[in-house]
Amino acid sequence: MDDLRLIERAVDMNETKISANGVQVYYGDNHAIKDVNVEIADKTVTAFIGPSGCGKSTFLRCLNRMNDTISVARVEGDIRIDGEDIYDKRVDPVQLRAKVGMVFQKPNPFPKSIYDNVAYGPKIHGLARNKAELDEIVERALRRAALWNEAKDRLQEPGTGLSGGQQQRLCIARAVATEPEVLLMDEPCSALDPIATAQVEELIDELRQSYSVVIVTHSMQQAARVSQMTAFFHLGNLVEYDETGTIFTNPSDPRTESYISGRIG
Amino acid sequence: MALSWLFGLLVLIAVAGFFAGRSKSVASAGGDARGLHSRPNYYGWHVALNALVPALLLLVLWLLIQPFVLNRAVMPMLSSVDVNDRGTMSLVLSDVRRVAEGIDIAITEGAISPDEARDIQADVMDVRARLAEVGVALGSDVSIETLSAAQRYRALAYTGTSVMTILVLIVSLVGGVIAYRLVRPDFRSRNVVEFGVRMLLLSAASIAILTTVGIVLSLVFNTVEFFRLYPATDFFFGLNWAPSFSGRGGASELGILPLLWGTLYISVVALAVAVPIGLFSAIYLSEYATKRVRSIVKPMIEVLAGIPTIVYGLFALLTVGPVLVSAFGEGGVLGVSWMGGGTAVMTAGLVMGIMLIPFVSSLSDDIINAVPQSMRDGSLGLGATRSETVRQVVLPAALPGIVGAILLAASRAIGETMIVVLGAGAAARLSMNPFDAMTTITAKIVSQLTGDADFSSPEALVAFSLGMTLFVITLGLNVFALWIVRRYREQYE
Repeated sequence: MDDLRLIERAVDMNETKISANGVQVYYGDNHAIKDVNVEIADKTVTAFIGPSGCGKSTFLRCLNRMNDTISVARVEGDIRIDGEDIYDKRVDPVQLRAKVGMVFQKPNPFPKSIYDNVAYGPKIHGLARNKAELDEIVERALRRAALWNEAKDRLQEPGTGLSGGQQQRLCIARAVATEPEVLLMDEPCSALDPIATAQVEELIDELRQSYSVVIVTHSMQQAARVSQMTAFFHLGNLVEYDETGTIFTNPSDPRTESYISGRIG
Repeated sequence: MALSWLFGLLVLIAVAGFFAGRSKSVASAGGDARGLHSRPNYYGWHVALNALVPALLLLVLWLLIQPFVLNRAVMPMLSSVDVNDRGTMSLVLSDVRRVAEGIDIAITEGAISPDEARDIQADVMDVRARLAEVGVALGSDVSIETLSAAQRYRALAYTGTSVMTILVLIVSLVGGVIAYRLVRPDFRSRNVVEFGVRMLLLSAASIAILTTVGIVLSLVFNTVEFFRLYPATDFFFGLNWAPSFSGRGGASELGILPLLWGTLYISVVALAVAVPIGLFSAIYLSEYATKRVRSIVKPMIEVLAGIPTIVYGLFALLTVGPVLVSAFGEGGVLGVSWMGGGTAVMTAGLVMGIMLIPFVSSLSDDIINAVPQSMRDGSLGLGATRSETVRQVVLPAALPGIVGAILLAASRAIGETMIVVLGAGAAARLSMNPFDAMTTITAKIVSQLTGDADFSSPEALVAFSLGMTLFVITLGLNVFALWIVRRYREQYE
């Protein structure tokens, strides 16, 4: 486990950004998330791991109310961001999602130019007063997503023409451009090759400077590489939630240990 | 022997061949079907197909060619007709055929004995009256020449049909026997049968193509004929449509522009109705409606597509026209007298638009649904509202497909006839007023060909060049639409 460099990991516990209490999610009759309690810290990368179908993506989608778009899904419990209940009736999911950005499993650039892909969010939220400001936002977002050098000469070309790894970084740039406070990533590297994965992971580590990042991943190595906190989900339950180093070296629950050592999942 | 008997006999041979081939194959493998290259049924089919297909092909060919040969054979006997006058010749020949067939019918019904039939003499017996008794009506009295030609025709047809029957049966038997002798355990009958199946499917596909080619050719020949009689520049650039049916000819003005203008004007009005309504309902159904609403509303909209256009025409004539007149006509509610009568571009356009709604909405709905959900998630995840997502992500992604759907609807609108005939009137005119009666290419094709049309006059032949023009326009639109739709499809595969 030396290559994971667990010792060097600096976990400075920041104040809590997201706190979830007694969250239950139902898909029709299927009880997908069972009584999950979790506190997610600011300026930290939190990884959700667990076998397929354990509910980690479902829980992630609760955090920006993307489950609202699925008509059969029902969420119970209490999820607060900065102490505010996001399932309160007065909260507009549209505003919430501007604050809680999301990057999806498969790169999904819009059928627009690279520039318009990144400018999409700032435009609909009115973040730029004029074209120059918008240009600046686009450039800053592309730089943060480490795509500027590759894309600066082809900003007007369609985003779908980029390679898979570039597309995913474009999607990250798109999410970053709206200046969110939390960034949710649903298996952002599962469709990428190892080199693109490394680039995205590096990016995630940089994003930690300004955001609270929550990442769902199938790869335990990836969780160990990028995250400070790790939550292990199994069959809809949050089995264990602790510092990444502890989860991977000294888990307290036998199920976590079985999963980490490859016996289940 | 009647054709149905011959056909039945062929099927019998094939069925017998099937069982013979199958049992021989099993026997040749020593009773164990696993020793065969193909399953026993394939050997049976192999024999049956060989007995049936070549014989049927011969039968069809013979039936197609025999009339030509017979016509050629009796033509010299009709010395009173000029061989170069094709029109008269074909009329006389069809008379000959009718007399020949009539005599045959009379014999089978027992009105004339075979012996009597053989030496009928036109001057002795009133052939026309005798044939009328058995239900064969002839246009004129039968001349001696026609009768003798008919007798010769009968004799030749009899010989021809007998030879054909024998040949077809021989071919069938020979084919079956050859196939039967080929049956051995290592014979690859499955491959042969599969090839046969492929050819069968191929021929079905090519019938559709050949028919299209045939339609185009029939249009092309008549169009060329028309342009020999009437200058093409006058047809394409003439501003007047005034055909004369006086029979003197030359006085007609056959300019396509007023008709083309009416066609396009009505189509534009129809699309102006159908595109927004159809598109909005498609967006509602695919993006906003719950499953329950969708399962009720979508089929109901599609019911519109099943209503015959003549019913829409009646709706235009009886409901929409009068309503429009009461609003825009003389003494109408609005106090303007733009509209002279119930039939107008507006009437036909509105109703045609309603007819096109399901085309636009159903196709657009499919296309909008084909936009990946990840696009919507991406946009919603950035904090876009639903309508922003639809406007800025879903519609641009679906746009090429939607344009394709609209073009397909447009080519329907251009080709529509019944609504125009009942709703738009029959006056060909170039006018900007949408409440004027106008007419379209399709409606004029109908009116030029109904009634007593003389197919050698430009007034009747113009219908073919109108049809050709329409065909080219709609074909172009369809090809363009399909090209756009296909380009769009490639994007998400």
